[in-house]
Amino acid sequence: MADTILRVDALSKNFGGVRAIRDLSFDVAAGEILGLIGPNGSGKSTTVNVLAGLLPPTSGSIVLGGQSIERMPEPQRVAKGLARTFQTARVFPEFTVRQHVTIGCHPIRTVNPFASILPLGAASVDDDETAAHVDDLLRLCSLASIADRPVGGISSAQQRFLMIATALAARPRILLVDEPAAGLVEHERQELAELVRGIRKRGLAVVIIEHHMALIMALCDRIVVLNFGSKIAQGTPAEIRANPAVIDAYLGEAA
Amino acid sequence: MNRPLTTLVWLLAFTALAMLPQVLSVKYYLHLSILALIWVIVAQGQNLIQGFTGYVSIVQAGFMGIGAYGSTLIGIHFGWPIWATIAAAPLITALFALLTGYPSLRVKGHYFAIVTMAFNLIIVIVLVNFRELTRGEAGISNIPKPWDGDRDAYFYLALTLAAAMTLLAALIARSRVGEILRAIRQNEDLVGAIGIAAWKYKLFAFVISAMYAGLAGALYAHFQGFINPEIFGVAQSLDAILAVILGGTGTIAGPVIGAFLVVFLPELLRFADSFRLILYGLILVLATIFMPIGIVGVAKTVLARLHRPGARHDG
Repeated sequence: MADTILRVDALSKNFGGVRAIRDLSFDVAAGEILGLIGPNGSGKSTTVNVLAGLLPPTSGSIVLGGQSIERMPEPQRVAKGLARTFQTARVFPEFTVRQHVTIGCHPIRTVNPFASILPLGAASVDDDETAAHVDDLLRLCSLASIADRPVGGISSAQQRFLMIATALAARPRILLVDEPAAGLVEHERQELAELVRGIRKRGLAVVIIEHHMALIMALCDRIVVLNFGSKIAQGTPAEIRANPAVIDAYLGEAA
Repeated sequence: MNRPLTTLVWLLAFTALAMLPQVLSVKYYLHLSILALIWVIVAQGQNLIQGFTGYVSIVQAGFMGIGAYGSTLIGIHFGWPIWATIAAAPLITALFALLTGYPSLRVKGHYFAIVTMAFNLIIVIVLVNFRELTRGEAGISNIPKPWDGDRDAYFYLALTLAAAMTLLAALIARSRVGEILRAIRQNEDLVGAIGIAAWKYKLFAFVISAMYAGLAGALYAHFQGFINPEIFGVAQSLDAILAVILGGTGTIAGPVIGAFLVVFLPELLRFADSFRLILYGLILVLATIFMPIGIVGVAKTVLARLHRPGARHDG
């Protein structure tokens, strides 16, 4: 594929004797929504953590936009265009929503933070561009009305959207979202689905881990299924739903 | 509080402090005030790493010692003027902080505190045992004092530097660097995940805090005219931590108030005679338990409560 953004090849991760990921390979294209599903403990979150650089891989390669990143530290991968959110809400509770998204702009800002200590140049172009970018993301993620509220005081569903807005602030090419719908009610899940489609419309690739099957099936172009750290299936939602191995390992007869 | 009002309060406080040499009839209190101003510098530095970044360092007094001995020994051996040796002190301390900061900042929480405390112990051990250079436990006396030991003049020097260092701390706090430091305190994992190399900013905060302590140490040496290793022990590092907590962690006014408290409180308790230190310890324990947000934190809460009914409509 010409527009492959992320290529994962023969990726493995061992924790001592436990093989959390085994020989995993898949591609993600620009504008694609890829689902990553599987039973608890099948290695989905570990995969995200290895891709994002929180954990080093035991072997295998990760290529982002033609460049090997598997040995790159986490912050540098963000600068190269790979952003992620966490399964549990991880936020800066004392910041306002706007501050929270603004600090996420760090990798794309042109002025060095240390230059902001001495108040020499007043409002710079960098500040204005950043503010406009943040406003855009607050609207995209339905956070504009609570922009000035402290993050510790907003609902956990709003915090989940905030994590996505903050990840998007660095203008990534690919976004990894780890169980974004956990704890959301039906209408919030709909909003989330709209948001993910909106992100895709902007040309980003999205890798989404989720247990809510209706959401995954409705949203994804392709799905990769993991079990015991290995890929057991890959295909369109229809193909996955009909795959006997997936039904056996994860979906069950009812799906 | 809004910005003009805050600025006014700061100017009033500065003016009041500047008048101290005229109004203090007991010269011993002027002596204590100079020490307190020196401790303001230490506490502002401590607040950058402890209050903003969330890393409790227990080596600030050790860094003061490096600044104090550095300034003194350069004066003795190279004959530099006092001004030059005081200016060199924070640079020497920064070098030490760079070397110790890299290994210390690889660990978090209590482990960081313990590693830095170990560095403080090492600094004292070296000061005691490297006799050829430091004259050991006997210490170094007759350290030159500027203006022939004129106390009023030294007060204004300390006041100017304490004010400048407080201003610099405020500038760092409101810059994007300050924002990143506060982010590290709130959730360091997330800082890395949004593309910020946290170690750079942690090391910056640690080195700057050490430079503050190094400057304060040099000021201390040329004020007292005498230094020995005991002055720069772990107990004094704990005083720096207490100054930050008592005054108000992560605020700019907090370390100023806290520094005056840790210098004056033991003196004001002299009436209790031999129970003095026990009483001091008790006050500290109770304050930390019942007032963990410090004096400035309590004041802010009270002010916010008083303001809420009338001042809410503009927000």
